[in-house]
Amino acid sequence: MNAIAESWSKLPRMLQVGIVLALIIATPYLIGAVEQTSNFALLSQINRALIFVVLALGLNIVVGFAGLLDLGYAAFFAIGAYTFGVLTWPNLGIQASFFIAIWICAVVAAFFGILVGTPTLRLRGDYLAIVTLAFGEIIPTLVRNLDEITIRIGDWVILDKFNLTNGPQGMNPLGRPDFSFFEGIFNMQPGALAVSFDPKFWYFMIVITAGFVLFASRRLDMSRLGRAWKAIREDETAADFMGVDPIRTKLLAFAIGASFSGLAGVIFASMIQAIFPELFRFQVSIFLLIIVIISGMGNVFGVLIGGLIISTFDGVLLAQVLPQILPDVDVQSLRWVFFGAGLIIFMIFRPQGLFPRKAKAAVIPTALAAEGGD
Amino acid sequence: MSVKKLFVLLTVLMLAVLAIVPVSAQETIKIYTSWPLQGSMQPEGESMLDAARLALQHYLDDHDGVGPAGFNIEIVATDDASPTTGSWDGVIEAENAQRCVNDAACMVYFGTYNSGAAKVSMPITNEAGIAQITPANTYPGLTHAWDAGEPEIYRPSGEVNYFRTNASDDVQGFSAAAWAQCLGFTKVYILDDRQLYGKGVADAFAQRAEEIGLEVVGRDGVESTDIDFRALLTKVRAAGADLVYGGFVIDSGGPQVIQQMDALGLFGSDIKFMGPDGLVNPALVEQVGGADVTDGNIFLTFPGLTPQQLTSDSGVRFVADFEETYGYEPSPWSTYAYQSMQVILNSIERAGVNDRAAILEAMRGLSEFEGVTGIFGFDENGDPTITALGGNIVEMGEFVFSTEISPTMNESCDMGG
Amino acid sequence: MSLELELFIQQVFNGLTIGAYLGLIALGYTMVYGIIELINFAHGDLFAFGFFISLTIFTALGIPRPLEGFNLIVVLPLIFVVTMLLSGGLNVLIDRVAYKPLRNAPRLAPLITAVGMSFALEALFAIWQGPSQINYPRYFPQIDILRDWMGLEPQLLFITTKDLFLFGVTIPLMVGLTLFVDRTKLGKAMRAAAQDREAASMVGINVDRIIATTFFVGGALAGAAGLVWGLYINSGRFLMGFEAGLMAFTAAVLGGIGNIRGAVLGAFIIGLLKAMGDQYIGGAWSRIIIFAVLILLLVFRPSGILGSTQSIEKV
Repeated sequence: MNAIAESWSKLPRMLQVGIVLALIIATPYLIGAVEQTSNFALLSQINRALIFVVLALGLNIVVGFAGLLDLGYAAFFAIGAYTFGVLTWPNLGIQASFFIAIWICAVVAAFFGILVGTPTLRLRGDYLAIVTLAFGEIIPTLVRNLDEITIRIGDWVILDKFNLTNGPQGMNPLGRPDFSFFEGIFNMQPGALAVSFDPKFWYFMIVITAGFVLFASRRLDMSRLGRAWKAIREDETAADFMGVDPIRTKLLAFAIGASFSGLAGVIFASMIQAIFPELFRFQVSIFLLIIVIISGMGNVFGVLIGGLIISTFDGVLLAQVLPQILPDVDVQSLRWVFFGAGLIIFMIFRPQGLFPRKAKAAVIPTALAAEGGD
Repeated sequence: MSVKKLFVLLTVLMLAVLAIVPVSAQETIKIYTSWPLQGSMQPEGESMLDAARLALQHYLDDHDGVGPAGFNIEIVATDDASPTTGSWDGVIEAENAQRCVNDAACMVYFGTYNSGAAKVSMPITNEAGIAQITPANTYPGLTHAWDAGEPEIYRPSGEVNYFRTNASDDVQGFSAAAWAQCLGFTKVYILDDRQLYGKGVADAFAQRAEEIGLEVVGRDGVESTDIDFRALLTKVRAAGADLVYGGFVIDSGGPQVIQQMDALGLFGSDIKFMGPDGLVNPALVEQVGGADVTDGNIFLTFPGLTPQQLTSDSGVRFVADFEETYGYEPSPWSTYAYQSMQVILNSIERAGVNDRAAILEAMRGLSEFEGVTGIFGFDENGDPTITALGGNIVEMGEFVFSTEISPTMNESCDMGG
Repeated sequence: MSLELELFIQQVFNGLTIGAYLGLIALGYTMVYGIIELINFAHGDLFAFGFFISLTIFTALGIPRPLEGFNLIVVLPLIFVVTMLLSGGLNVLIDRVAYKPLRNAPRLAPLITAVGMSFALEALFAIWQGPSQINYPRYFPQIDILRDWMGLEPQLLFITTKDLFLFGVTIPLMVGLTLFVDRTKLGKAMRAAAQDREAASMVGINVDRIIATTFFVGGALAGAAGLVWGLYINSGRFLMGFEAGLMAFTAAVLGGIGNIRGAVLGAFIIGLLKAMGDQYIGGAWSRIIIFAVLILLLVFRPSGILGSTQSIEKV
């Protein structure tokens, strides 16, 4: 492996970028060829995995960078998707453009991040975890029940059976990116650039989003704010003494982390065109936490690679390949046994994760281990 | 290892994958099925798949081993459940539909089980002009006017490409309300699990109950993970209801509600339970504590006939051969997996070519077709022209067909059966 | 008595019954947390284990129902003991396999193994007992106390021998545990280890043994709760531990995690919130109410109701 890394680092920068870009662009076509002849669903699994990577990168800011244990992160995913639903669902009549809505959704998710963050500021360790968990449980339930909102003050009826989320029936259809502007410019047929559920198109949309989030994570990691996060993660009291404002720092972690999942929620909702409360349950939060911790907490590229490995391990290997290799074994029922046992074995042999942060790998575990033992 | 070698290795791997995948034969028509094959849905999903395979086998047996219009039929079974949550997943459902669209040999998309999943895949198959037929969707808006904009929002091309051979929830809920009145109930308390199916059928029941003057004394939703309903049932009793209508499936709170109604003495005080097809499952009786609990206390509607209730020759043959071939009893929706597969094969036979548009056209024109549940065709929405709805009771721990029910049966209450 | 009043009393009673079984699970949660600061996600699954294993024992012994005479007075308590021993033993085993190797690892590592253990256990339960809901036969005799024993004619109130059984088992267990922790030498060692593991080992306390004891006691209580649940609610499923564990964890935090009386108090509060929410607000909102109360309470009392920032009694 070292030999690869070495020869890779010797390549000129431009060539490195070129190879990576070529690989990214070639991937859907290569996979398309495999899908055509095999019976595996691969590209959508990769799209799914990449959406999870975007989410995990957001969670990584909260858990990995700032050290705040969040057990209800799927709530922000839901908020992103449902804000997009409210903005683009024809029945509510707003029907905002995709490119405007996506930014509004990120801001709304960030706002909710602050909303959850505020009551947790005084809390330490696992009390924080339970508040986020509670929030993660409240949001899907709330979404399921906000289909008949009636607000009355005396005789004055503000809202009567107002349907905001369409409850268990879910919201569909939702908005899609509209490129018809370019059709005019390039003299194309109307509808030539219309977006459908083509996994290739969404692959590129998601790759662009993931690239943006990855880039932002890297920059944040190295910024002044990033250092402030690490400072409060390792010792909040000391950081406070040294002039780091813990309130502002923590709230920014919640807000930025949530805004990433807002973006993921929009892409997800626009891609599948239908969202339901059940899609955002606790298991999703836990799955994301597993990605972040197994990847090594705080390492941005680690989360990217770890997220891809874990999602495809589960979605492709356990779900699709294994049943074909072992047709006589009841793989489906054993799958969670494998998954659970895999988690335990992995953590025992590599508790620091796949790609621990190099610089401070030795410091962080003890600092975190000491935290909460007040 | 150098980077170059790594790329060589990757390319070789990619080619190896391509090489080991078998190349499919020429004149094959593929039918993609899509419903959950894991998690708690696994028994129902497997049974529906086996029923579809059996329908194909029966067709071949009846035609000297020659497939419809001479084509070789291949069933490609896909799973739309997510490993992360264990239940249906929009991304995977969309992918399954897209795989059918991308596969030139795929002529019919056979799915889904969950109506929510159909909301995702219908626009995809519709745009591609592929016929889609479901073995189990009961949500009304998929085929006819229900919620705002339905069903047009699922038909971007404007054409009907989606069909079902079972009745939908509105008819079922309406009929249940009418049946309840005929059974002499006057005050009903409605519970549902706040899921697409459970709430939908409970909504329909509530709507019809209001129209026919069956008093609804209360309504509550529950979390599908909840298992302790004693507080709610205390509330039901205090509200003075004589019937609980529960929009549940076997996996949400239904069995517990029934079981705790008995434990809290509601059945003893002549407060009974009525529920939809999601509870019609042979396991129900055992789950709630046996025949002592169920007999005379629960009423279940089914938008059609369960395998055990089929009386037609082909129906009897289906159930007998199923049990012999696979060694277990077919699940309730297997009837419709089998019947929808019959429709698919018949449509391909009448189209005579492996052309998506022609097969869709043939399916749209289905009429006077003899399926396992009876003779029917499709109306302009893709709904079956005749739907048998059964009202079931439990005797000695077995579901027994009690009477045929309809939304207007309360007008004469003819319960001759 | 008016119907309204009867209804209110009955709902308070329903809330207390929910608190009774939830409390047993919450105790184990809070004890384990107190001593090794681990959110033991697999704890709820021990509750499910207690349910399944006791059902298996009942079935294997072919005990007739309802329980009477010898079976009620001798066999039932024996089944309780066996179920608690097995559940406690399983919990010690889980600790050995999944948590003990990680005692000095990064803090979130054992959280992930706990999640992994929970997944694996639930999947194994599904293979063992099937994925559907399971009926737990009515072994415990149910007699309407007010009507059949006392000859009263209430409109709504409904209290049976099963309710007596529920409280008759859970309350002594809760009291017993509190006495055990407060009064015994082992309990004192547990409190010491919870306060400061290193200092405790320096004064000669075998911390590993204390941790194992804590897991054993916590598991045994969860197992007992599973058996009580089976006999009381008569229905369960392989995933039942997840929801119960979630609520028990919430109860433990509400009362002040690490605090034994707090866990019980939190469980009763949650039970009452659920019953009252179901009755007066609507079934679909009860869950939201429980979690909203939790968040609000933590805003004003960041360490829960009985938790103090100094944590003197933290086990």
